Parts: sequence; structure tokens; C-alpha cells
Amino acid sequence: MKALLEVRGLTKRYAGFALENLCFSLAPGRILGLIGANGAGKSTAFRCMLNLSRPDAGSVSMFGRDFYREEMQCKQEIGVVFGDVDMYPLKRLETITAAVRRFYRNWDSTQYEGWMHRFGLEKKKTFRSLSSGMKTKYLLTLALSHRPRLLLLDEPTSGLDPVSRDELLHIFRDIVREGKCSILFSTHITSDLERCADDIAYLQKGRLIACADKAEFLRSFEALRTPGDAAPLSLEEIMLRTERKNNWDATLV
Amino acid sequence: MQLLYKELVLAAHPTHLVFACMGALVLVPAYPFSVIFMFGCLGPYITLQYGRETGDARFTALLPVARCDVVRGKFLLIACLQLFQLALSVPFACLRGALGMGGNPVGLDATVAWYGMGLMLYAVFDAIFLPVYYHTACKVGRAFLVAALPMVLMMAGIESVAHIPALAWMDGTEPGELRRQIPILLLGVLAYGGALSLAYRRSVQNFSRVDL
Repeated sequence: MKALLEVRGLTKRYAGFALENLCFSLAPGRILGLIGANGAGKSTAFRCMLNLSRPDAGSVSMFGRDFYREEMQCKQEIGVVFGDVDMYPLKRLETITAAVRRFYRNWDSTQYEGWMHRFGLEKKKTFRSLSSGMKTKYLLTLALSHRPRLLLLDEPTSGLDPVSRDELLHIFRDIVREGKCSILFSTHITSDLERCADDIAYLQKGRLIACADKAEFLRSFEALRTPGDAAPLSLEEIMLRTERKNNWDATLV
Repeated sequence: MQLLYKELVLAAHPTHLVFACMGALVLVPAYPFSVIFMFGCLGPYITLQYGRETGDARFTALLPVARCDVVRGKFLLIACLQLFQLALSVPFACLRGALGMGGNPVGLDATVAWYGMGLMLYAVFDAIFLPVYYHTACKVGRAFLVAALPMVLMMAGIESVAHIPALAWMDGTEPGELRRQIPILLLGVLAYGGALSLAYRRSVQNFSRVDL
């Protein structure tokens, strides 16, 4: 099946950090979880994919189109949520929506109203007055109201309480169930991915060290198991042991 | 149009909108009218500072627009409000004449030449301020300081015109004098259009290198 998102050789170099040769693809109807410690390059990868930062090399293709050449058309079909966004704090949600909806050909007011109702969002409230969880829900409402085929979510569950996180993870599963939409979802809360991701990509210090479907991904880290481990390693254990090993190796060097 | 709408309802600082109404100050009996232009330069500074604090550039860049449209939106907003400010001052300048309030004893009257010089001042300010700002899309204070120096010098120049006898025709409001001032207005229109166009190209170029 043709990938909705294809990233090839994405590279961005800063003084002291580099995202090197990032390659992965996302098939329709799948949730790809991007994991990595703080500073691993998850947000940099998102920013480069979306042309918020100009990459030094590489290509990004969405729906078979070159994103950098057909940015406007591609953006019509994607929904983006950055968990750390804190925009227009004094503006009412209805004002922000009125400005945003004009940019989308496929804006669906019924769907928008439905999500607002489902998330318990009030139009008259200002963005500032929302809790961080409610802010994420509002941004997700905006992202979902133009019927996107691809959702790019950078740390969407950070700052959410367990109930809201559970609700969002269910929503993500519902969205991809029909097979038309896919989700790329970065997080450092590995338990979220264990519950909803189909594929997992692991970014460490700017390099992709593994990318596979969940079962294969877990198998590929079998070498980290010790004789004392009765059960298979969880994603969190895999991440902790990989990071520790890497840090110790670095210290020895 | 959706870009301009977004700029007006989300990105423009309310003070910028208030400053755009300062064209009405030409009705004040004795006032250095070039200060009106200063308000027209302070407005963009405040809006860009507000935009930085509200994450406006990144939010706009995530909408289905090209990266250059982030810059285009701001140029549209700034040009519209500067031109609105000048247009708004016209009926007030006419009202001043109709009320027989007489000339402005402080400096240049709101004559045709005054409008031309105002457009030239905006041309110089925008051509410096905006490309310098889009070099980082962050350091708005530095960009304003760099552009404020020529702005102040031009303000002083505009006010001085009224006190130089050889240039007194620029301060005249008689039909013949106003006709003589038309080339200055045309020069202002050309300078404003040309400067904005050049500034836009430079700003887009500078902004393309900025990481959001």
C-alpha cells in the first residue's frame, strides 16, 4: 500500500546537535509512534518535516507529493498539533476558529461542533483560560475539523491527565480504524504507544536506531534482556536500557 | 483575503489599530503632525512584538499557506493600516479647513506635500524595519532601533519645511500651492510602493532561513 508519509534522508545540523539521515514511512490506517528521550530530535524532525526549519538535506513526501514543492496542497490534507503551542492567549476560541477555518477547503463545521462538544470546549473561553490538556484538545479539534488524511502530533499527550490521555488514545484508534487516515505521534510517554501504536520509531541523539511494527520492534531489542527478566521488555525498559547503555558507553569513551 | 482577516483578528495588537486612527490628530489646532507618522511606525513594532509573544509566525506557518505568506500577511496588515491612517486623516484635514482653524503654527500643515512626505517616511521605515526584523523573526527591538533613526531624522525634516521660507509653498493650502505639491505626493506613492516591494522580497529571503 502506498505510504501517506515518506521521509528520506532528512538531515538538519545545528551547533552541538544534528538530526542525521532520518528515514521512515507511514502506511494508511497506521499509527507510528516516535519515541526518544528529551533532546533526541523528535520536535526537530517534526519542524523539518513541516518546513518550519529548513533541512540541510532529505525529502518529505506526503500523499505521493513532494511536501517542499507542494506545501500548500499537502497542508490542506494534514492536521498538526504541537503539544507546546501557546498561541493567541487572549483570543476566544471562536475567534481563532473563525480565522483558521477560512484557510481550509474541506472545513466541516458539523465535525468541528461535534469535537467541541465531545471535548467540553466552550467557544467563548480564551485560549489562556484553558488547562494544558484542554489546549491540546482544542488544537486537536482544529486539526480534525478539515478531515485530514494524516495527523502529525508532537507530544500531544504530555501534560494530560490519565483520563484525558486514555480518551485521546481511543480517539486516535477510532480515527485510523477506517484506514483512510494515519497518525505520526511523538512522545516520551512510552505506555501511550504500547496502547495505541502499530509501528514504532526510536530516535536517539538525532539518529533513528530502530523503526518497525511494534512486535518486530520489541523483538529487535531482545538482546537487552537479562536472565532475571521473566517477561518481555516493555517499551519503557527498552528505552531506559538503551539510553543507559549509550550514556555509559559515552562516559567510557 | 483570509490572510488579512487572520492578521486583523488574531495578530494585530489592539494598540496598532488605535494608532491607525491617529490620522484624526490633524484636527488638533497646534501639533507636530509628523508625530502621526511615528504612530504609524510604532504600530508595526508593537504588533510584531505581540506576534513573537503569541507564537503567531509558527501558527501561521502551520496553516495551508506557503512560508512567504507568513511575511505577506504582515506586509498586508502594515500597509493597510498605514494607508488607512493617511486616508482617515483626509476628512479631518478638510474639516479643519471648513472650520477655519487656520494653519498649524508648530510645523507643516496636512497639505498634499505632507502626505507625500509621510509616504516617503513610511517607505524608508518599512524598508529598513521589516527586512531587519525578518532576519531573525525575533529581535524586534533591534530592528525598530535601526529604523527609528532615519524615521526621527525625517520627522525633523518634515517639521522644518514649514520654517524654511523657500519651501513655504509646501505648507500652503491655496489651490495653486496644493497643485504644485502633487509631484511630491506622486513621488511618495512611488517610493512607498517600490520600498514595500523591495522590502517584501528581502524579508521573504531572510525569513526563509529562520527556524520556527
